[in-house]
Amino acid sequence: MDDNRLLGLIMVFAPLSLLSFGGGQATVADIQNQTVHVHGWLSNQDFTDMFAVSRAAPGPSTLIAALIGWQVYGFWGALTATLAVFIPSSILVYVAANWWQRNAGSPWRAAIERGLLPVAVGLIFAGALAVARAAHTELIGFATIGVATVVLYFTRSSPYILIAVVAVLYAGLQMAGLPYT
Amino acid sequence: MTSSEAPAAQSGGETPSEGHHHVPALSVLGVFLRIGVLAFGGSTQAWMHRAIIEDHQWLSEREFLSGFTIAQVLPGSNPVNLALYLGMKLSGGLGATAAVLGMVAPAFCIILVLGLLYRLFGDYPTTHAVLTGVACIGVGATLSVGLKVALRLDRDLLTLVITLSTFTAVGIFRISMVPVVAVAVPLSIAAAYWERTHKARRRDQAGATAAPPASDSEQAGK
Repeated sequence: MDDNRLLGLIMVFAPLSLLSFGGGQATVADIQNQTVHVHGWLSNQDFTDMFAVSRAAPGPSTLIAALIGWQVYGFWGALTATLAVFIPSSILVYVAANWWQRNAGSPWRAAIERGLLPVAVGLIFAGALAVARAAHTELIGFATIGVATVVLYFTRSSPYILIAVVAVLYAGLQMAGLPYT
Repeated sequence: MTSSEAPAAQSGGETPSEGHHHVPALSVLGVFLRIGVLAFGGSTQAWMHRAIIEDHQWLSEREFLSGFTIAQVLPGSNPVNLALYLGMKLSGGLGATAAVLGMVAPAFCIILVLGLLYRLFGDYPTTHAVLTGVACIGVGATLSVGLKVALRLDRDLLTLVITLSTFTAVGIFRISMVPVVAVAVPLSIAAAYWERTHKARRRDQAGATAAPPASDSEQAGK
């Protein structure tokens, strides 16, 4: 049964590795759906927390897989999920990079570059929606999302200032017994 | 028109540099470990550029930019893909492995420490409040990336339909990504290919005759 959990982690993350067009953000919606709704490994609260930790941590945001793996099967779960996230796409990139360079002027290459964009955009926005829903976002949450989007879109400032301000603000709201969603 | 097919592969003018760079895989590992540790706040690509192109001058600016595009287009985390590409250029398969390991291992350790802290403090309601706020920033970061990519989209109906149906299927109806991507990606690439060849043909026809013939406008109406 425990082996099934490790296998389950691989079955969730390895396909997503090959589908993460547009980077790790593109897979967030499916990770939320699979881990919360399909497998029941996490509650929505757990998922929101882990998403937040993975975004606050340095390195690729796909490392949310390590946190989920840890929750499901301890250290080996974390390692398994991380390998499942990075190995399939890495092999693909390794193989494809050579073809890519040899076909610099090919119309197919240009078509692939253009054709993947709309799918990536759709998946990225789906990921944003999945997290907002899992966090049961209401007025304050939407306001925070709006401010963060504008600041991160228009400035090149480090997100850590924003994270520090929001952390203090939300801790204050919670301790004062005020709503923070 | 016919000439556009054969020499297309050479039009980039880039000499195949496979095997030209021989940086020891251990040096590659060292450089990428340092980048992996420094890479706070998503400025990873900038650090890689500084280390590989400016400091060590191991690769050319062009090679870096080509890798940048590949890293973005193909599936996988963009910074990790770029590291893999650079490592591969520098030291083949071993270099690629070293670069990915250097990028992922420090971040993996840090996230395990954070996960441990979460275990210790996860029972306090204040922790959840703080993390809810941080998750909202994460959503904002995702949206800002999405908007930047969206600006590069073609402004036509088909692109809009593919973007919205992908979003609706995965985001609203929670359909698994596998079937959605399996349908949307080939469709979208075929459409982009068709549009590209179609436009090129029309441009050629318009260029051949000063006044576009009647058949051209017919074709445009299709």
